[in-house]
Amino acid sequence: MASCGNPDVEADASMTKRPKYDRNKTCVKCKLQTGNIVIRHAVYCKDCFFPLMSLRFRRTLEPHINPNPQQHRRKGLKASGNLLIGLSGGLGSSVLLDLIQKTYLSPRERQQGDQNPNGITCPWSKIFVVYVDISGIMIGAPDKSSPVEQFVKRHSTTMEYIRVKLEDAFDQTRSPGLRKILLKVLSSSTCSPLVSLKTYIESLPTQTAISSAIQALIRVLLLHTAALTHSSHLLLGTSLTSLSISLISSISQGGGYSIREETQEEWTYRNQDNIEQIVRVIRPLCDVGMKECAFWAWWCGLKVVGKHRYSGGRQDIGALTRDFIMGLEKDYPSTVSTIARTCNKLTTKGGTSMKCLICQRPAQSGTQDWKQNISIRSYSDINPEDVPPGHVNLASRASDDLPPSNPHSIASSMCYACHTSWTSKSIRGRITKQTDIPLPVWLKISSSISEERRQITMESMRNTIDDFLLDSDS
Amino acid sequence: MSTDTVSLRIEFSGGLELLFANQRSHRISIPAIVPKDDGDVETKSADITYLIHYLRHNLLKERPELFIEDKTVRPGILVLVNDTDWELEGEGDYVLKDGDEIVFISTLHGG
Repeated sequence: MASCGNPDVEADASMTKRPKYDRNKTCVKCKLQTGNIVIRHAVYCKDCFFPLMSLRFRRTLEPHINPNPQQHRRKGLKASGNLLIGLSGGLGSSVLLDLIQKTYLSPRERQQGDQNPNGITCPWSKIFVVYVDISGIMIGAPDKSSPVEQFVKRHSTTMEYIRVKLEDAFDQTRSPGLRKILLKVLSSSTCSPLVSLKTYIESLPTQTAISSAIQALIRVLLLHTAALTHSSHLLLGTSLTSLSISLISSISQGGGYSIREETQEEWTYRNQDNIEQIVRVIRPLCDVGMKECAFWAWWCGLKVVGKHRYSGGRQDIGALTRDFIMGLEKDYPSTVSTIARTCNKLTTKGGTSMKCLICQRPAQSGTQDWKQNISIRSYSDINPEDVPPGHVNLASRASDDLPPSNPHSIASSMCYACHTSWTSKSIRGRITKQTDIPLPVWLKISSSISEERRQITMESMRNTIDDFLLDSDS
Repeated sequence: MSTDTVSLRIEFSGGLELLFANQRSHRISIPAIVPKDDGDVETKSADITYLIHYLRHNLLKERPELFIEDKTVRPGILVLVNDTDWELEGEGDYVLKDGDEIVFISTLHGG
């Protein structure tokens, strides 16, 4: 009878290790040189690696440069505005900066990795690089603004460096890109923006919520900086690996409705002339794995500064997802690619014009009603003919009823993911006792716009029917 | 055990150098023949698996869990052998030769 051998005794019983590459060690592209890198089971030599990376980068970015997206053409690239590059100091965004410089700004002589010796004209008039400094909330973390600035200057003297602090989201005097005519002091708080930021962070119930909130603040700050710099494109250095991590993490926190926006999105805003403008957020490295980025950085001699990352440890869904995906990529690299490709095929049911006040992404309406319908609340609304369980005291439970959802509250204007983050229960019973929690500036302004519109609407309604109203004396 | 040694050049990048006294480049010499496993009498030629073990016990200054996991490098750390992906050279089973350059790059900085 056949049986499985014991690997400890029989050397032949253990399964032979399969190589991590198909066929042989020869480059699959040129079929001449011995390979230097394995990318998802395919072997590439160093000379073929650089054009491959450049091609993937341009194939993702260039169809979306012109105001009318073009899938099949490459000539006459001309953007409607400037370019803003989000630089976190991490591997992906550093490689992105290098690729932008080599593809659109490098001189005619060849450089390592430069695959465009003919020199493509830069589609943007100006290029800005923005760094969001989060060191204010990272205890003991050094400020990396200066090394990041040096990194930008080493790459190009034409790129303009902008430093934004995370606490600027709470600074009513420095709100980048926001309409100052609507800027009011809605809070009587005299706290500094940094204190407001820390209070906001500490009010969140879980580590996962804190990580998500920081990411949302960074993203919206980048969007508003793009508006301030009149940029039509915001580029982020999210690699395929990072994208897979953010997709799974977002879905697990209830962000499935805006899953497409994790890869690419268009953010609309009104400029000072009240004209609608669009910022396209593109991740040109979404088809390039983190391994490829690391090889590019090493072979091109990039001095990656490194980025601060807030991690909630083992209680943070984002951190757990990252560990899972990194482990998956080591043994099953194609699966990581499959995650991103599968999510790219997803589409949501129906459309929406509502935007979440917190994260500025599409929000499905009726989040509160849905949560009330699926929540276990009380027995006070059960059928009077039914007999409740013996331990339930209907009289004392009456106060547990939740108030009907207020259509003008912030909660009614939040997406499901943000709503879940703010209302999730901490396993340690962490509940904030604060009643006056500072909010990001754009949230206050959106609320004041809604308030103004409501007031104006009522007033205009009164004016419209004024002629038909009877005098109170008659 | 043979007294022959293998001289290697080790490079750390992507933030890994912080775990090794903030030093990017190291020149080391390790025995050419080493025990197959801890405390084992059987011997083998020094390979990358042994090198990782050697680095963990002789050069690593802090947080070993950020470098090593299950006798190999932690997921997210890439290894180059003479400018080539170690997956093409047999990963941990690659037998080290005198003058080899081994590079460890951390990708945990993200995007």
